Amino acid sequence: MEEEDQRKILDLVKELVHRLLSQNPNQNPNSPDFSSSLRYAIRILQSRLTPSVSIDAAAIAEAVKRRLATQGKSSQALTFADLYNKFASKTGPGSINNKWAVLYLLKIVSEDRKSAESAPGSTFLLPNLGLHDSELSDDTRVPKKDDTGWNNGVLLVTMDPENLREIAFKEFVNLVREENEVSEEVLVRDVLYACQGIDGKYVKFDADVDGYVLPDAVKVPRGTRLMVRKLCELGWLFRKVKDYICGSMDRFPAEDVGTVGQAFSAALQDELTDYYKLLTVLEAQAMNPIPLVSETASSGNYLSLRRLSVWFAEPMVKMRLMAVLVDKCRVLRGGAMAGSIHLHAQHGDPLVRQFMRSLLQRVCSPLFEMVRSWVLEGELEDIFSEFFVVGQPVKAESLWREGYRLHSGMLPSFISQTLAQRILRTGKSINFLRVCCDDRGWADAATEAAAAAGTTTRRGSLGYGESDALENLVAEAAKRIDKYLLDVMYTKFKFKEHCLAIKRYLLLGQGDFVQYLMDIVGPELFEPANTISSFKLAGLLETAIRSSNAQYDDPDVLDRLKVKMMSHGIGDRGWDVFSLQYDARVPLDTVFTESVMARYLRIFNFLWKLRRVEHALIGAWKTMKPNCITSHSFTKLQGAVKLQLLSTLRRCQVLWDEMNHFVTNLQYYIMFEVLEVSWSDFSNEMDIARDLDDLLAAHEKYLHSIVEKSLLGERSQPLYKSLFVLFDLILRFRSQVDRLYEGIHELQARTKASSLPTLDKNKSRRQTIDNSSDPGSWISDGRKALTQRAEEFLRNMGQELDATAKEYTNLFEGFLSQLPLQQHVDLKFLLFRLDFTEFYTQLHSVI
Amino acid sequence: MPREIITLQVGQCGNQIGMEFWKQLCLEHGISKDGILEDFATQGGDRKDVFFYQADDQHYIPRALLIDLEPRVINAIQNSEYRNLYNHENIFVSDHGGGAGNNWASGYHQGKGVEEDIMDMIDREADGSDSLEGFVLCHSIAGGTGSGMGSYLLETLNDRYSKKLVQTYSVFPNQMETSDVVVQPYNSLLTLKRLTLNADCVVVLDNTALNRIAVERLHLTNPTFAQTNSLVSTVMSASTTTLRYPGYMNNDLVGLLASLIPTPRCHFLMTGYTPLTVERQANVIRKTTVLDVMRRLLQTKNIMVSSYARTKEASQAKYISILNIIQGEVDPTQVHESLQRIRERKLVNFIEWGPASIQVALSRKSPYVQTSHRVSGLMLASHTSIRHLFSKCLSQYEKLRKKQAFLDNYRKFPMFADNDLSEFDESRDIIESLVDEYKACESPDYIKWGMEDPDHILTGEGNVTGTVDPKLAV
Repeated sequence: MEEEDQRKILDLVKELVHRLLSQNPNQNPNSPDFSSSLRYAIRILQSRLTPSVSIDAAAIAEAVKRRLATQGKSSQALTFADLYNKFASKTGPGSINNKWAVLYLLKIVSEDRKSAESAPGSTFLLPNLGLHDSELSDDTRVPKKDDTGWNNGVLLVTMDPENLREIAFKEFVNLVREENEVSEEVLVRDVLYACQGIDGKYVKFDADVDGYVLPDAVKVPRGTRLMVRKLCELGWLFRKVKDYICGSMDRFPAEDVGTVGQAFSAALQDELTDYYKLLTVLEAQAMNPIPLVSETASSGNYLSLRRLSVWFAEPMVKMRLMAVLVDKCRVLRGGAMAGSIHLHAQHGDPLVRQFMRSLLQRVCSPLFEMVRSWVLEGELEDIFSEFFVVGQPVKAESLWREGYRLHSGMLPSFISQTLAQRILRTGKSINFLRVCCDDRGWADAATEAAAAAGTTTRRGSLGYGESDALENLVAEAAKRIDKYLLDVMYTKFKFKEHCLAIKRYLLLGQGDFVQYLMDIVGPELFEPANTISSFKLAGLLETAIRSSNAQYDDPDVLDRLKVKMMSHGIGDRGWDVFSLQYDARVPLDTVFTESVMARYLRIFNFLWKLRRVEHALIGAWKTMKPNCITSHSFTKLQGAVKLQLLSTLRRCQVLWDEMNHFVTNLQYYIMFEVLEVSWSDFSNEMDIARDLDDLLAAHEKYLHSIVEKSLLGERSQPLYKSLFVLFDLILRFRSQVDRLYEGIHELQARTKASSLPTLDKNKSRRQTIDNSSDPGSWISDGRKALTQRAEEFLRNMGQELDATAKEYTNLFEGFLSQLPLQQHVDLKFLLFRLDFTEFYTQLHSVI
Repeated sequence: MPREIITLQVGQCGNQIGMEFWKQLCLEHGISKDGILEDFATQGGDRKDVFFYQADDQHYIPRALLIDLEPRVINAIQNSEYRNLYNHENIFVSDHGGGAGNNWASGYHQGKGVEEDIMDMIDREADGSDSLEGFVLCHSIAGGTGSGMGSYLLETLNDRYSKKLVQTYSVFPNQMETSDVVVQPYNSLLTLKRLTLNADCVVVLDNTALNRIAVERLHLTNPTFAQTNSLVSTVMSASTTTLRYPGYMNNDLVGLLASLIPTPRCHFLMTGYTPLTVERQANVIRKTTVLDVMRRLLQTKNIMVSSYARTKEASQAKYISILNIIQGEVDPTQVHESLQRIRERKLVNFIEWGPASIQVALSRKSPYVQTSHRVSGLMLASHTSIRHLFSKCLSQYEKLRKKQAFLDNYRKFPMFADNDLSEFDESRDIIESLVDEYKACESPDYIKWGMEDPDHILTGEGNVTGTVDPKLAV
């Protein structure tokens, strides 16, 4: 039965082949063409080839339907669906078992017909049987074969169906061998050459295409050509990398390569060495024949192009990476280069990651060495300026601020900004210690730090990927060096003491000293500025120091205190230009820079002026102090004059009280709310400061808060101006008081003189007038004149005082009204103090 | 130029409180009883030369004159352990040693007699200082020497050192108990006149209040003079701390007083101190914050002047000025907070005719004196209620004067010779006008006060021009 079936099928196939070929007129059933076609067909049928689609009739039907629909033949699609339904529902005897196969066949046939229609000249229904390849145009999609090889293969197929694959392969090899002008062995060798950057026999570098190519003249199958081209990419990449390496080796002494570049080149070179090794092995293998699956068949060499492509897979990835890096890094140097390489290391592929890691380890080692020597030794070993810390030659006082900075371009991305800052500061601290403090003790701290970090201070002990170790090292070093630096600043250079000294002398904290200075320098300062000898002032300063408690201060501190005359214009008095200055000296001038000292100077000027006003007011009080007027002398004055005197004095006292209240409370405000509070904040921050930057920041904050709170800030400009107008008014008031009391004392003296019958030898103008009027009766006349005189004087003074009082009230109102507008919260404290009893609030509400 | 201050201690009381004062100063500056600087006293920061000068042999010598008309107290000092502290040239005891017999006129008259000797001593001390700031007189106003001779000295100093400050620590007699000095009202009145006219600042130490404080605050049943005197010395030394420990402000006496005394005539200051302790007394340690201290200082029970005001008057009383000297470790921010609290709670009544505020001076504490409290405070204040003390003095005087009692003792002396009692009347007028001025300060119209009756204020020494030195202040 089975045999019968078999035969039936054979007959059917024969019939099919015959039918197919019979469309061709010049065919006859006995021709060799026919038999070979038949054999071919049989072989195909025996080959158990399966279509690449799933066995699902419905899916195929659906696909057909869809195709029809997309082609716009919707009516046909509907018809097809109808037909298919009928077809599928047919079961039972006589129906077709393998429905999907039928469908599939029909579909293939229809598709084939369609493609045959689109290809002119082709009228075959099953062109992929490929029986007439040789007669068709040179379609390279199907390997060409001739009859001989074919026979051979068919024989084998028929004889030994188990050997099918080997036979197919052999057939293919023969085909290839016969088709190709160049043998594969040669091509493999050429490719291997190309991969070392050497032109082979056929494969040559083509500058136009920028790659290794097989010249078109060489006749090889397109697939081979493509494969060669693809394999030779490695050669192209290799050339690129090699070029870079050679280039940077040549350029090495020149600046633009740098140590990182060098390390990079070296690492690449090492990679290439590995690559060379591989090539050598491959080359050796290229000559070995392939171990055969079958003893009988002859075979080609071990390395085929395809094998090569497998071998090349890994080197290709690496080489490609290297080439990309080389491209990226061509213009980069130092830290930037490392950073850029690092960016490529963030890769999901473990192979790539591993490779990049080892590469980076090499590349970063000079960089890490720089970090190490920078944080532990403060050395900037960076002749090619590759490091992310850049130094520049500056004067010692600006070393900290300007001497070193971060070069963000050179900062590799695997070092965070904070870490970089820390690194910068640590090395800076060392250099600061070395240059400014002239101190060597940091070396111990550095050794300690290195020991604590677990690495030795040896070179090259750090590498990429150990960022924890690096961070640890930097942290340890920073901690110790910074602490050491602060220790040096505090103990050796007495930073706190100097701050205190500045507070005491420049900010007038040492009250007794300031007072004596005011006492003895004051009279000098009324002179025009250009006539004052600063030499003399220096002497007076010395005196003030010696006679106040300042004398017990550290001689070093006192030595730094100097008189400074600011540049003066025409008409300036000594008061306008006098100031004190504190010589900070290295290394403290890093904190007390010129601009900082300029701000201190502004504060000094303000406080000094305030003190001067206070001094003037106290002086005024002294002239009008309780026991200064022994009033008995005025009993002889007329009641009206007495009243006038009384009211003038009272007005003067009340005005004084108001002014004094203002100045005193401003002083209290300055002392408590400004100086002491800022200072106590500063002291606290000094104690917790961890490095010099903290210290600088704390000091800056301290100074800033004083400047802001004492109305010296930008925002308080108008307030400050009105303050100074007030000050000037108070100073004028003082001279009024002096005049008033001088007048009263004179009056007193004169009253007494006139009441006593002795001739006063006073040569005052008034006396002369009195005397000249009538010597005989001058006592009575004199008294009259005196009374008049007194009345006039007191009236004038009274008016003057009234004017001053009015002006003062206006100005002060203005000042007070501006206070609440000020942003600074502490200025509210000033208002609070000035208006403690709400005197001004009530005054204001009355008005 | 340390702004030296010369202390004159006159009479029994003056010398006693003076001695306590110097004891306290020596302790605070680390100066031994012999005037030698103790070994531990190296911390510096203090200014010793305001009150002391250094002899050739490094002895610290007080700038003090010890003056009395009878030798008892001064002898006691000279026999005490402090005998080597003082400059012996600065001790004056009158030759006859009979004292002033609690008679102001006697003291005044004797003062005139020994003026030359004493002024020589004062001149010598003044010459020995670079920039003499002024004088401090310690005395009592009730007795004979302190009041009479003190008065004479005040006039002389005012005249001769008119540019210098004269501050007094004047002990007012205890009004609660009957005094053994019957003429006390006379003496007080006559001295008060000089204090009003010739002193720049009078720190009133009211024995009545001191006793009350000793009894009530320190729980002493029968306070001794030594105990009340130690209160006085505490106040005296505390009020000079800012001079002795220089800081940003209040470094000289004039600066200290100027703000306290805006109205020249009203220059009588009250004091308060907290926490108070007396030697050898176990203390309850109290919590001392700046606010606590400042608040306690405003309580009348801590004030060392008795207020004789009736409730209604007391509520009218106003502060003309307040200065709190806070000693110890103080966080400056606390000062502001305390001031705010005090203002919120309206704990202080200030004058209404001008701006005023509580001034706070922070001062260091002597590192050599151990105290159980962290912060201590002294208040110096000009308060109008002090007028009631003067009124009391006046009324006591009136009572006595009405009876014409004990006036014979005074008539023996030139000032009151020929039954010329105008000095009494004039003094009375002056004190009355002083009381009026204080009263006027309580009203918002102080500025206009007195304009209609100028004689009240400027009542001078009238026709006694002869008693005043013709050289007048210029």
